[in-house]
Amino acid sequence: MFSLKMLIRTWRGGELGLILWSLILAVAVVTSVSLLAERIERALTQESSSFLAADLVVRSSKEAPSAWLEEALSKNIETAKIMSFSSIVFFGDDLHLASIKAVQPNYPLRGSIKRSTTPFSRDPALIEAVSYGPEKGNVWVDARLLPLLDISLGDSIDLGDTSLKVTQILVEEPDGSSYSFVGARVLMNYADIPDSGVIQPGSRVTYRYLMASDDQAAFESYVIWLKSQLDIHDRLITPDEAQASIANTMDKGRRFLLLAGSIGVVLAGIALALASHHFASGQTKQVALLKSWGISARRVRFLYAQQSLWMGLLGSLAGLLVGYAFHHILLFVVSEWLPITLPSAGSRPWVIGLATGLICLAGFTLPALWHLPAQSPLAVLRQDIVSKPVNSLVRGGLGVVAIAGLLLWYSNNIAVSMAILAGFGLTAIASVVAGLVLLRLGMQYGQRLGSVWRLALANLWRRKTQSLIQIVGFSGAIALLMIMVIVRTSLIDQWRFQLADDAPNHFLVNVAPFELDGVRNLVTDNDLNTAGWYAMVRGRMTEINGKPITDVQKDSHESFRRELNLSWTTVLPEGNKVTKGQWWDTIDLDEFSAQSTAGEIIAPVSLEDELAGELGLVLGDRITFSVGGLRFEAEMVGTRSLNWDNMTPNFYFLFPEGLLEEYPRTSMTSLYIPPEKKLLVNDILRQFPTVQVIELDKIIDRIRTIVSQVSRGLEVMTLLILGCGVLVMFAAVSLSMTERLQESAILRTLGSSRRLILGIQLIEFSGLGLMAGLLASAGAELSVAMLQHFMFDLPLSLHPWLWVVGPLSGALLVGSLGVAYSRKAVVQPPLEVLRAL
Amino acid sequence: MIEVKNVCKQVSTTEGELQILDDINLFVADGETIAIVGPSGSGKSTLLGILAGLDTPSCGSVVLNGQDITQMDEEGRASVRAHNVGFVFQSFHLLPGLTALENVALPLELNGDREALKTARNYLERVGLAHRVTHYPRQLSGGEQQRVAVARAFACKPTILFADEPTGNLDTGTGEIINNLLFDLNREEGTTLVLVTHEMNLAARCNTTLQLQAGRQMTPAENSKDTTEKEN
Ligand SMILES: Nc1ncnc2c1ncn2[C@@H]1O[C@H](COP(=O)(O)OP(=O)(O)O)[C@@H](O)[C@H]1O
Ligand SMILES: [Mg+2]
Repeated sequence: MFSLKMLIRTWRGGELGLILWSLILAVAVVTSVSLLAERIERALTQESSSFLAADLVVRSSKEAPSAWLEEALSKNIETAKIMSFSSIVFFGDDLHLASIKAVQPNYPLRGSIKRSTTPFSRDPALIEAVSYGPEKGNVWVDARLLPLLDISLGDSIDLGDTSLKVTQILVEEPDGSSYSFVGARVLMNYADIPDSGVIQPGSRVTYRYLMASDDQAAFESYVIWLKSQLDIHDRLITPDEAQASIANTMDKGRRFLLLAGSIGVVLAGIALALASHHFASGQTKQVALLKSWGISARRVRFLYAQQSLWMGLLGSLAGLLVGYAFHHILLFVVSEWLPITLPSAGSRPWVIGLATGLICLAGFTLPALWHLPAQSPLAVLRQDIVSKPVNSLVRGGLGVVAIAGLLLWYSNNIAVSMAILAGFGLTAIASVVAGLVLLRLGMQYGQRLGSVWRLALANLWRRKTQSLIQIVGFSGAIALLMIMVIVRTSLIDQWRFQLADDAPNHFLVNVAPFELDGVRNLVTDNDLNTAGWYAMVRGRMTEINGKPITDVQKDSHESFRRELNLSWTTVLPEGNKVTKGQWWDTIDLDEFSAQSTAGEIIAPVSLEDELAGELGLVLGDRITFSVGGLRFEAEMVGTRSLNWDNMTPNFYFLFPEGLLEEYPRTSMTSLYIPPEKKLLVNDILRQFPTVQVIELDKIIDRIRTIVSQVSRGLEVMTLLILGCGVLVMFAAVSLSMTERLQESAILRTLGSSRRLILGIQLIEFSGLGLMAGLLASAGAELSVAMLQHFMFDLPLSLHPWLWVVGPLSGALLVGSLGVAYSRKAVVQPPLEVLRAL
Repeated sequence: MIEVKNVCKQVSTTEGELQILDDINLFVADGETIAIVGPSGSGKSTLLGILAGLDTPSCGSVVLNGQDITQMDEEGRASVRAHNVGFVFQSFHLLPGLTALENVALPLELNGDREALKTARNYLERVGLAHRVTHYPRQLSGGEQQRVAVARAFACKPTILFADEPTGNLDTGTGEIINNLLFDLNREEGTTLVLVTHEMNLAARCNTTLQLQAGRQMTPAENSKDTTEKEN
């Protein structure tokens, strides 16, 4: 406890201030970033969970073993079953092949169903969001089923042996986008299935098992268990997969949060390193005194180790509290930006915060204090005897190890850690080398300038070790801040760009050749533009490499059992990337046509990359397609990745032009329909009953909301990290303050004017800031290039403005901070200043 | 008791070997006072450091209270310092974060003394600072700070007290108070006092004077006063 007493006394003496504040702020920043990041992240996950109506879904072609549900029950995980299949529904003489979805009453587990009692209504006031499905005996149906069967709400339709009452219009299912269906949707209660008798052995049914839980740990352990139970009939679907276009945005958002947090960690580390260095140099006198009293080196080490531990614990605890308060303040500030109530965070942010404090202390403070016990007691008699600090390379190395460890643990991502470390490391090395040159140049050049300049620049050179440490601190902080701002800006720009206001929000599919002109005219009559028409034919896969598709294959993937859209094009569609094999421009298409034998052609086909993997197809495989009874063979010559970020049509199977044109084809397009022209959809459906309209406007709106929430989250994070950067600057400025104040006081005693003294400080600090800013620009440019390339998939870009803003803001910020700090030297009587030192 | 035989000190500098002290011999009996005088740079502080076991001589031996500290390692010397030695420095060396009382109590607390605060208060009273115990060094004048330092040195009950120009940073009047304190406490506690100074009148108050000139002993350490005086 004596060490605690000593610590409190040291703190009272004002020597601990900076180090303790750095520690508290380091922990506070990391804690609040993690808290905020985790809560935003959880909110995003929740949001994306609603696209799945659950946290996780298992899709299967057979009923799940009861063990799944029992295990879920024992872990307190909520489950809901869904069966989906096609079946004919009747009303009197009218019939329709509907897409039936039978759900348990607790569906959806996440998100909500939108329903209405007014068909085709788009008025939000008439649409109700509920989080349960239809009761037994009732069905909720697609509005278009009403004209198809000529019924109205309250009528009962027949499904198999049962009669079900249509009570609601189904406007939107949360997980609607994860189904592909042709017939009108009929949402019914799971309990009505047995009575209907429509499910017979051999019926094609897809089962979905929805799972959700608020207890993340339990859920994760359940998922691990569940994965071990799956076989080829089952496929696990995560929220990310459910909505690829959101997943990408959120993934980048998540990475940015990580980046921000990681930069926070590094900045905190730098601040602590600077403060510790400062603290240690202030402790030599005390250690010499203790040793002159006969306190052994071992005892000194023990005393300081104990004090450090106390400081680490108390500082970290205070940091956790401050961090908690801080994140609330931030939340309050942005509350109008974040309309959703954020879910609460788990224990991870707290653990990370505490660990940051202790690890930073071990990585930066302990090495800085390490040499103290070796301090010669003779220093009490002679000022010049100061024991050498541990080699700064060794200390730097230890710091890097601590930071790298923290970064890796924190980000769980080697690329982020490496990019940040490389960026900072290079900035630091460049700072030392170039800083020396710049300082030297400044000193020489300063000779020819006025006396203030000469004094100031000579001072910087004289204190070069300190100046260099300060430059490293400043430039590191500035570089990291610039990295943040650039990455943030380019991310947000990219999102804005890809979700332009007039991005296509409706797809028109299944347009027959004879309807094409009519639909086109309808569109142009409404002053709307399509994104161009794509023709396609519908066909099934019947054989792979000459062998018929097996039942096992059919069970494993729906693409083996349903009709596929096959399309053709000459140029690679925008946003597509060839991942394996080739595209038409590198193969000889004539050779393929030449292979045509006996009316059967062999066509080259390019598949979507992931689908090819799921189907187990490799380059060179032959696929036999059947299109309206006609067969043709295709060879898989390449795979592509698709871009889901913008809502343009994407095709899984692409052929070159001139091979499929002879088959019966339909056309599709995407277009932007503004809200006020939404009724056009009804016109199209009424005039062209076979045309399918896929409405994406609601999904796009949701994506927009999410993107804007993510963007705002990034803004908040950026602000927070900026604050952290200022802390580093502060620590770096105070590093030389004792000495500077002393010198200023002496100058003051000698009668120097306030202008001269502040002038010297201004030039010294803005000079440092300028150099640091310049070096930071270089470091940031490099780091951003790495991050954009490896982490965010953004195009490389140079930032000329950096080279202006960097040095200028550096000079301005550091200069004003330094002058503000040294004002004490001119407003207080010199004796008071000297005595307080 | 201090016994110094043939002590010398060389250091190697960029300009070659530098002889700081050369063949110093002296003997100080228990309870006696010795003044080390000489111009600035003559090696007074270096000698004091060696006598106190803060530094080692290049040759010769130093025996404190019968223990040859030149034969010891740093741990041994630290232990000798802890049990026998006290210091007063020219620049006070008070810890800024501690009150006068805590400054005095600190070395006692480090030795695990439970009565530390009580003893400290007692010694502060004896140096005339009873009313300033809760003040911090920055709130005290130079003379008051040095009085705290004197109290701190005596509170540990050292057998030998080393003072390196204790009045060097103080004006004459204030210096006089400190000097009187040192001699009074020395007499009351029976401490051996080694005093570095360049004031000849102060040296005259000591039993013995050692005059240094460029690291050499000008006169054999001799009694400037009748030894009987201190028994009065
Ligand atoms: N370790 C050392 N290295 C170089 N010079 C030293 C060292 N220690 C002492 N000196 C020099 O020896 C001389 C005597 O120093 P010091 O004992 O402090 O003198 P005094 O206290 O009498 O003024 C000074 O010139 C000092 O610079
Ligand atoms: Mg001296």
